[in-house]
Amino acid sequence: MGTELLERRAVISGVGQSEIGRQIDRSGFQLTLDAVLAAIADAGLTVDDIDGLAMFPGGGKANLPGYANGNLYEIQDALRMTTRWRQGIVEGMCLPFYGPAMAVATGEARHVVIWRTVKEGSAARNAGGRPAYGSTNPVAEGPLAWLLPVGALSPVLQIAPYAARYQHEYGVTREQLGWIPVTQRAHAALNPDAVYRTPLSLDDYLAARMISTPICLYDCDVPADGATAIVISAADTAAGLRAPVSIEAMAGVVDGRPSWEQWEDMGRVGYATAAAMWNRTQLRPADVDVAQLYDGFTIEVVWWLEAMGFCEPGEAGAFVEGGQRIALDGELPLNTWGGQLSGGRLHAAFGHVAEAVRQLRGEAGARQVAGAQVAAVTSVGGYEAGAALLTAWSG
Amino acid sequence: MDATVGIPPAVTAETEAFWTAAGQGRLLVERCSACAARSFPPYGICRVCRSRDVAPVEITGEGRIYSLTVNHQRWMPGLEVPYALVLVEFPDHPGVRVFGRLRGCPPQEAVIGMTVDIGFEPGPGGQAIPSFVARVPAGTVDPRPRRAPVSQPAGARRQERG
Ligand SMILES: [Zn+2]
Repeated sequence: MGTELLERRAVISGVGQSEIGRQIDRSGFQLTLDAVLAAIADAGLTVDDIDGLAMFPGGGKANLPGYANGNLYEIQDALRMTTRWRQGIVEGMCLPFYGPAMAVATGEARHVVIWRTVKEGSAARNAGGRPAYGSTNPVAEGPLAWLLPVGALSPVLQIAPYAARYQHEYGVTREQLGWIPVTQRAHAALNPDAVYRTPLSLDDYLAARMISTPICLYDCDVPADGATAIVISAADTAAGLRAPVSIEAMAGVVDGRPSWEQWEDMGRVGYATAAAMWNRTQLRPADVDVAQLYDGFTIEVVWWLEAMGFCEPGEAGAFVEGGQRIALDGELPLNTWGGQLSGGRLHAAFGHVAEAVRQLRGEAGARQVAGAQVAAVTSVGGYEAGAALLTAWSG
Repeated sequence: MDATVGIPPAVTAETEAFWTAAGQGRLLVERCSACAARSFPPYGICRVCRSRDVAPVEITGEGRIYSLTVNHQRWMPGLEVPYALVLVEFPDHPGVRVFGRLRGCPPQEAVIGMTVDIGFEPGPGGQAIPSFVARVPAGTVDPRPRRAPVSQPAGARRQERG
């Protein structure tokens, strides 16, 4: 490794969340403040220590229906802060902490807070059901012009053909894949903040209605309300932090055609990203104690299991079958907070990062994986992928 | 099955030729004058050799379903369901893949590898949208073999713990 690993100059110092639920009757702005203040306190810092702010997404997408980030400058103003670094982005968001880690690693800032606030649960209720993607726009702009007009009105319909192709090529069955949502629901039962905590059986999964084949209701994450904030600090501030977590390696590669319908084989979406990440560390897949793999849909977990090298291509079905390997006491405890499938669609791996940090600190309560020292975190949104290894702080 | 409920496309300088031809039942892609490659969607540049000397050209012939989904969810009021959406590739035009609806067979009978003809139907906002027509009986399977496992980056496989 000839290049310097800049991520080693950054740590995750704090995570904080608002109340999370199907519908929370508070404004997105208040949920954001709750999470930001909780994350700063969790880091052992004060508001005056923070000199960078970021949110995902930013720009014109920040406040689409169900997107409730608010305005970055209003948050700064409300908190009476001075910032030296700010970012609100859509493109390039491979991991929540990627940009902030670069900012503190290069000295642009010392402590950056990034947040993601959703009110998609309320938005779905208000629309009388999960609304069509982009349905508030009069016309489908840019890449959506090839999706919405033909009737691909939701990300479900955009990913479903790739899920079908994967199952066609490898013969993986719904009976196998159902163990992912079923096992994650068992984990959610131990997470008081999860949206759905009642048991889910494989029979429940197999009986669920189809949304768009082969994706059924329980293959889709849960629209939710809630905010998550993460504090990223320069590693040389660690002595003043309550409980930092190390960033061992991170990467985000977009190598195929970055398009929902043109991607050559979306089942391979994480491969280049995972390879780039493993190139930045001596750790190997066998060293991972807990995996928080992005689960907007069940099939994304499948692809990450294979891309990250936890099993061979085409073998994720066999890997998860029965659920033992991915249970809390299994070989690879998976989405220990319930994931987005049961914990709520906190989006962009914010929930996954928060859980990884809690596991590595030993602060995950009833769902704690004993002795967790290495956590894998991945994120994916269609073609935009990110992967990281986080490790317990060793000083 | 009615496909007019939905969201129409924004028509741009790059896509105007495509949507105009769609209304005439013709499928346009961009052909490169330098290397003859076909590119889609239209960007005004060849995706193979990056020449800017491209022009719209109609493609014809059979398409093949790369994959599909059958949608059962009524995402908008009045949306008729179920319907099949198909990703179609063209044996004679490598590099072109088009997303569209499928007609000509019940949606649940559509399968990967099925041969389709190019077609269009009325879509949202008076705009014709790609709507392929199943040509051969259902049950035609993808002739391509299931792919073999591909090697991972060195050392990236999960090892059994000792
Ligand atoms: Zn060319």
